[in-house]
Amino acid sequence: MRAILLLVTLLVALPATAEPPSGYPFQSFDKAMQQARAENKPLFVYFGRYGCGYCEKTNKEAFSDKQIREAYSRNYVLAYVDSESGKRLRLPSGERVTEREVGTRYNAFVTPVFTFMTAEGKSLLRLVGVQRIEDLREADNKVQQFMKKATRP
Amino acid sequence: MRLQITFFVLLFSLIPLSVQAEPWEFSMPIEVTSTNGEKIFHHLESSGRQNIAISADTVAVVWEDNRDEIPRIYLARKGRNSQSFSNEIRISGSGEAYEPSIVALSNNRFALAWEEDARINLRIATPSGLGPIITLGEGEAMQPSLASDSQQLLLVYSQRDDGYARIWIQRIEIDGQILKTIDKCAVDAEPANDDQLYPAIATLADRVVVAWEDRRPGHTIIMGAQNDDLKSCRFKPPQRISEELSSAGMPYGKGHGVSRVALAQYGTEQLLAAWADKRDFREGYDIYSANYQAAGEQLFAPNLRVQDSFGGVAQQWHATVTGDHSGRLVVGWDDKRNGNSNIMLSWLEDSGWSDDFTVPGADGEGEHNHPTISLDSEGNLHLAWIERSTAAGSTRIRYLFGRLVEL
Repeated sequence: MRAILLLVTLLVALPATAEPPSGYPFQSFDKAMQQARAENKPLFVYFGRYGCGYCEKTNKEAFSDKQIREAYSRNYVLAYVDSESGKRLRLPSGERVTEREVGTRYNAFVTPVFTFMTAEGKSLLRLVGVQRIEDLREADNKVQQFMKKATRP
Repeated sequence: MRLQITFFVLLFSLIPLSVQAEPWEFSMPIEVTSTNGEKIFHHLESSGRQNIAISADTVAVVWEDNRDEIPRIYLARKGRNSQSFSNEIRISGSGEAYEPSIVALSNNRFALAWEEDARINLRIATPSGLGPIITLGEGEAMQPSLASDSQQLLLVYSQRDDGYARIWIQRIEIDGQILKTIDKCAVDAEPANDDQLYPAIATLADRVVVAWEDRRPGHTIIMGAQNDDLKSCRFKPPQRISEELSSAGMPYGKGHGVSRVALAQYGTEQLLAAWADKRDFREGYDIYSANYQAAGEQLFAPNLRVQDSFGGVAQQWHATVTGDHSGRLVVGWDDKRNGNSNIMLSWLEDSGWSDDFTVPGADGEGEHNHPTISLDSEGNLHLAWIERSTAAGSTRIRYLFGRLVEL
């Protein structure tokens, strides 16, 4: 009982830092763009924010799903952007931007925002707010169908 | 969302034209630098957004760009009545340089600070040349912001030691073109247990106020602290400036987001903090403000939204603020209520913040953002901002002058 109470206390005390979900190969936006170009894969960009509660909820309730993790890790190059961060990135165009400015450019005025993009940074599909497992699965299906059509000779 | 914006635009068109008139007559915009072109990207993004300053007859703008592929800091100046900037000079050294800040000194002189190779560099610019660079900071020093009083230069910056960034203030003596450090303190004496970032600084006759982003509560809030002894760098314990909202409106997470505070003095003893605030978390950032209170236990008064209701369903970013000794106070930001990003202003009137005003020449096609503003001693408004034809296209720095008109 004491161990359970200690565990609950520790879980409650954990800061809501809204980092990307664990177990996924998220990387910075500029590195992800480079990799997406090299591998000719679409990007999945997670726009979060420090202390974003809806990000935490989506992490716990949707990204924790094993099938979602496998599908997203396989089908996309994954990028995480803290929309309030001053972390500097260098885009393939040579432009130096901060993560905050990437958020501004892609209209991440609420968090979380999940944007599927081409390797060139063109938005394909955008999900705003808390997502469920079925939302992520449906979005993945849509983007994969679009990519198949786009690459069909 | 689009429906809401359409509704407000229609509503606005049905309202008789307001009797309010803007206090400035704006000239045509001019270029701050002629070094533009493909793959050249300019940035106006100092901590506290002080990239423009006016000293005596001289207007100065400082920025970073990558014209020779390495980010470096440049300064351009012009006479107040001149129609063009000239004497553009590089002020940073050989390293990668970012986020310059400027403050006006007397007699057409300016102090400049910037980040270079994870240190803070400073120097003086006078009509006769540039003073030597001094380098400050340890660990990873960044995001400098400057203020001055008649006796000294005051520098605040964020420095990452042992994992967390903390706000520091450095007092500096000016001897001609030579800068000499006096003393340095952490603004918050408590050891950091999360990041303190993007400090802004302003001075009153007998005190200094510093505000910054603070991540210690598990989300970002705006904090502030004051020092009422100009001969010391020690500050009183900090207080929260951005308000804590009731948890009923925020069912998940530690709290809402805030971003990039700016500070400015106005009147004789007044001071305003302005920042981007996402308390209305469905519609993105709004511009909020709080007035410094010299008396009483609370350092800052309750928060007030600066922008008007028409901007409530659009996003506002990049707050900048300026004031003068007669009590004029202006807040600027970039605003997407018309679809693209335009520069907007609101100023303090007897009844509160004015209706929002789109600056002619800093609006229209393309993107207009990252404003920096300054009032001169006659109440004229000077504005510089970044303009680009597309969201990811190459950039230009534009300037325009708003001549004060009697209303």
